[in-house]
Amino acid sequence: MMSKNNNQETVRRFSKPVIVAHWLNAFAFFALLLTALPMYTDFFNWLYPVFGGPANARLLHRIFAIMFILPTIFMILVDPKSFFHWIKQIISWKKHDFQFFAPFAKDFIGKHADVPKQDFYNAGEKLNSIVQILTTIMLIGSGIVMWGPDNFPKGLVLWAYPIHNIGVGLAATLVVGHIYLSIGHPKSKASLRGMIKGDVSLEYAKEHHGRWYDELIQQEVVQGKKGKKSKAPSNSGKNLGV
Amino acid sequence: MEYIKYIDVTKCDGCRACMVACKNWNDLPAEFEEFHGSYQSHKKTTANTWNVLTFTEHVTADNQFEWLYRHSSCLHCTDAACEKVCPENAISYTEYGSVVINADQCVGCGYCVQNCTFDIIELATKKDENGKEYKVAQKCTLCTDRIAEGLQPACATVCHTDAIMFGEKDKMLKLASERLNQVKERYPNANIYNPPGVGGTHTVYLLAERPSVYDLPENPETSYTAKLWKDVAQPAGKLLLGASVMGVVGAYLSNRLFNKEVDESSLNEGGKDDEQK
Repeated sequence: MMSKNNNQETVRRFSKPVIVAHWLNAFAFFALLLTALPMYTDFFNWLYPVFGGPANARLLHRIFAIMFILPTIFMILVDPKSFFHWIKQIISWKKHDFQFFAPFAKDFIGKHADVPKQDFYNAGEKLNSIVQILTTIMLIGSGIVMWGPDNFPKGLVLWAYPIHNIGVGLAATLVVGHIYLSIGHPKSKASLRGMIKGDVSLEYAKEHHGRWYDELIQQEVVQGKKGKKSKAPSNSGKNLGV
Repeated sequence: MEYIKYIDVTKCDGCRACMVACKNWNDLPAEFEEFHGSYQSHKKTTANTWNVLTFTEHVTADNQFEWLYRHSSCLHCTDAACEKVCPENAISYTEYGSVVINADQCVGCGYCVQNCTFDIIELATKKDENGKEYKVAQKCTLCTDRIAEGLQPACATVCHTDAIMFGEKDKMLKLASERLNQVKERYPNANIYNPPGVGGTHTVYLLAERPSVYDLPENPETSYTAKLWKDVAQPAGKLLLGASVMGVVGAYLSNRLFNKEVDESSLNEGGKDDEQK
């Protein structure tokens, strides 16, 4: 078995553009959340002076809104391979994906659970991605209407507000879970390294993304245990569990 | 005690004294608009013009021309969409039934402007003591400040034909229905405009023609999108958010209770700053 020290073998999981896009998106998301929070709940009214008054908060919200839209465009232009690999993966739902959730619930609270082998993205990540894409569409679409309501018919404007509201409620709820699983949950913590340095330990890959690991073995990107740090490309291979 | 401003358009002669009295009492600046091709002075109410006398050119059934006048101002809905959507609770109902804006609480977001059922409320641009511009929503207050002092709204006081009357809700509604019977012969389409879709209003009209002739919605309703937004989506979102935070806190604690393998797990690459210690 692999050594249990810090020099363990790793495999590349995310490309540089993915990492940049993810953190830019994350930053914009929180900046948007904070600049709008005093409008969502009076409890955060003290944030207005922090942002230099309501008018400034609205201006910042619009600047961060553009920052929120950019990562998707950036990904499609700079690293379409990773982007479309992600899209293809998250719309692929097989038996092992549906079987993920029941054992995951046990795992979530710290009990031992046998989760079936997962793809490059596990079913939880897939679901998170799908819902987050939907809320992003809701938020950006309604946000554009709310930015300049006078350019749109009143019926559309009236719908924009509740849609924006539902979007942010869902998105923020998911983000709470997403953050917990990356920094709070003991077993899945290792995944954070994949989104910071870009690589994850082989052991993590094997345990959490078994089907991806099998592909890596099959394609001889990694050799089970021996060998130096592998230099597999991002989303190595074309048919990873798709 | 609830009060109503009752407007009998059949008595109005279009003098526009109500517009002047309103500007005067509320200390609102004059607003110059271009000629719109009509006797009407302003297209609609604005943040600084709280009432506008509308002039509608109308051809009657027997092909006669007539002017239809209407004192247009905030209707002070019982279920006001502006009050519902205001994120700062800056808009509220008074004991008199009027709907008022607290300028100190208003942040100028304009949600009320977009959601107003009658397209009345608008944002004014003002300057603070440092000369910095800011926005604040403004509209007719039903002269709540005057009512509190036992006076009538400025427009009602000045109206020389008593087309604008002000008084206790029941009395005004009674007056309106009595008057309706009187004018039915001359105006067969006459009706009382006190739309139930917004829970009734505190500016009630006796109209000579259908509401649409006066550019009023026939069956206005407090928008269901506003209800979905404020009565369903927002409370549900807060609940969901609170539940998820509690969920992960619970999961974190239960992990520390049940998950004994964690400490020796090689998966924790975090090292020193690991909170497992």
